Amino acid sequence: MSKRRWRKWNRVVHRDLGYLCVGLTVVYAISGIAVNHVRDWNPNYKVTEVHRTITPVTAADPRAPEVVRHILDELGAGSSFRDTYRPDASTLEIFLEDGTVTVELATGEAVLQTVRDRRGLKEANYLHLNNARGLWTYMADIYAAALLLLAVTGLFMLKGKLGITGRGAWLTAIGVAIPLLFLWLYM
Amino acid sequence: MMFAAAILPVLLLAACRPSEGELTMYGEELTLEETTSVSAILADPEAYLGQQVQVEGTVVDVCEMRGCWLAVAGEKDGELIRVKVEDGVIVFPMSARGLMARVEGVVEKLEFTMDQAVERARHEAEEHGTEFDPSTVTGPETVYQLRGLGAVISDHS
Repeated sequence: MSKRRWRKWNRVVHRDLGYLCVGLTVVYAISGIAVNHVRDWNPNYKVTEVHRTITPVTAADPRAPEVVRHILDELGAGSSFRDTYRPDASTLEIFLEDGTVTVELATGEAVLQTVRDRRGLKEANYLHLNNARGLWTYMADIYAAALLLLAVTGLFMLKGKLGITGRGAWLTAIGVAIPLLFLWLYM
Repeated sequence: MMFAAAILPVLLLAACRPSEGELTMYGEELTLEETTSVSAILADPEAYLGQQVQVEGTVVDVCEMRGCWLAVAGEKDGELIRVKVEDGVIVFPMSARGLMARVEGVVEKLEFTMDQAVERARHEAEEHGTEFDPSTVTGPETVYQLRGLGAVISDHS
């Protein structure tokens, strides 16, 4: 293959892979930032808590449906619930469709925790962390290979002093040095 | 025309997506025919150590950050058994709380030194977004849990 022809194919591969990878790159990049900070926030769910005080619950069986409905009514949390649980003698948990109510029976101190999906982000994390598995595993492998090809073809996009033999060489060296620097710092 | 050609595979994939029924499966298919009560396991965990069991009960808690464990309530108040699954292999949604689950796993014993118990409690507090109080850990701990293999969670409680 002549040098000119090789350059042309390099451009074509780089250009078309670039277009193909945009969607996946957006998913992986946004999710990457989200899960990178998993210690500081929940990347999948928005969890909110409202603290309230209701009338202390003195009923002999706090799990009785009428007692639970009364508690929910006082909290303005609707009337339907999935189930209840008593983690200890003084506490009642009520499971709702979109959250949980925790009540300290003797004091009436209640916490209404509501859980909402972070729409879009939850789905991006699902793909990024390969929770889907199955065919998606191979799709993600293909994407990784495409990124590798994008990087390599990117090196040879330009000729001359802005290309890999000039300015490009310095920038590539910096890019390679960054992970090495952090490995040296932390390992 | 080009746009239609690009969007067609996406639509086909969407059409092939399995429909959600009343039961949602996680991980491996359940193989045991009989369930063991959580109370029985907690009453004598050493007798079940290393055994594969199936438990059934209400999901009372789920790992908020990674969905890597859930807790199934026992028959008596205050009883629960935690089911830990391999990170990323099975991911339980927070919406499972309050739903009925059948879970299979192997009973295992975890022994924590005082320092490990403190670290574990700190990690749990982080997961729940609550303030960590080291005084709640008073000594070394032994915890029995299931190493989860598969689960079926009903869409209803």
